[in-house]
Amino acid sequence: MGVITEEARAWAQRDYPSHEFTVTTHDIRRFATAIGASNPIHFDREAAVSAGFADLVAPTLFTYVVRMHAYTLIDPSLLEEDGSPADDVPPLSTKRAMAGGVSIEIERRIVAGDVITVDKRLTDMYEKEGRSGPLVFVEFEFRFRNQRGEPVATERFTRIYR
Amino acid sequence: MNTIDVRSLSPGTEVPVQTFTPGAVDLFMFSASAWLLHRIHYDLPFTTEHDGHPGLLIHGPLQGAYLVESAERWLGHGLRLSSLEYRHLAPAYLGDSLDCGGTVVDIDQDGGTVELDLWARTGAGTTTTTGRAVFSVEERGER
Repeated sequence: MGVITEEARAWAQRDYPSHEFTVTTHDIRRFATAIGASNPIHFDREAAVSAGFADLVAPTLFTYVVRMHAYTLIDPSLLEEDGSPADDVPPLSTKRAMAGGVSIEIERRIVAGDVITVDKRLTDMYEKEGRSGPLVFVEFEFRFRNQRGEPVATERFTRIYR
Repeated sequence: MNTIDVRSLSPGTEVPVQTFTPGAVDLFMFSASAWLLHRIHYDLPFTTEHDGHPGLLIHGPLQGAYLVESAERWLGHGLRLSSLEYRHLAPAYLGDSLDCGGTVVDIDQDGGTVELDLWARTGAGTTTTTGRAVFSVEERGER
């Protein structure tokens, strides 16, 4: 074992800035269309209002859109060859990344016009022996709150390098 | 759309299978809507030569969204997702169809929440993603 070097461990002790994301109706409709959402509250303002919401409602997993824009909508010179933000990629001998898994708790809805703040932390990095060699797991935590300071969601995401 | 009465469910009740067959345009829409730039979802030569995959990958978070959507279409719109955990067991590639289904694990006797085991499986029978979700009755206070 020992794919995770001292250099990588030092790298993992890092801070990420917070970001704000102003949610528009187009952001909501694009994501709802991309995931094949069927609920009209994501597409039709009247349907959202008659269901009791102030405006178009984001799909429950919309926090993904918020965190991706927050940390990936950056100067392209700050991207790795594979398109990932360099800031996310540990100094490892392998750079082939895949999604591992997600755990999310959702406290409340996001509607168009909300300003969502996201905080990001790297919470863990560890390795396991996989079928075709060592795997390195990097875990991130994202906390989302709205313009009233109310918690919106907490998401934990694991990326696997092989 | 009518919301299912949670009290009519019991552990073991099956979530009807919904099949999603994302094409290249669907993969592009997901990457674009999230500003997800990872090349394994749109650059085939890079994906095969650099990462050694046989094809473009269907995004993990898109599969997560399909799990939720398949449950939502069955439960109706009066319930909303309150928690979700999922992990990927095998890659899913462009061209795969994904059958998404599951079973009820637990219900709240007041009819307020339902917990589901969910899975996505390719047409060839490979389970790519499994998860557990809790849906709760949407409360007026959160609107």
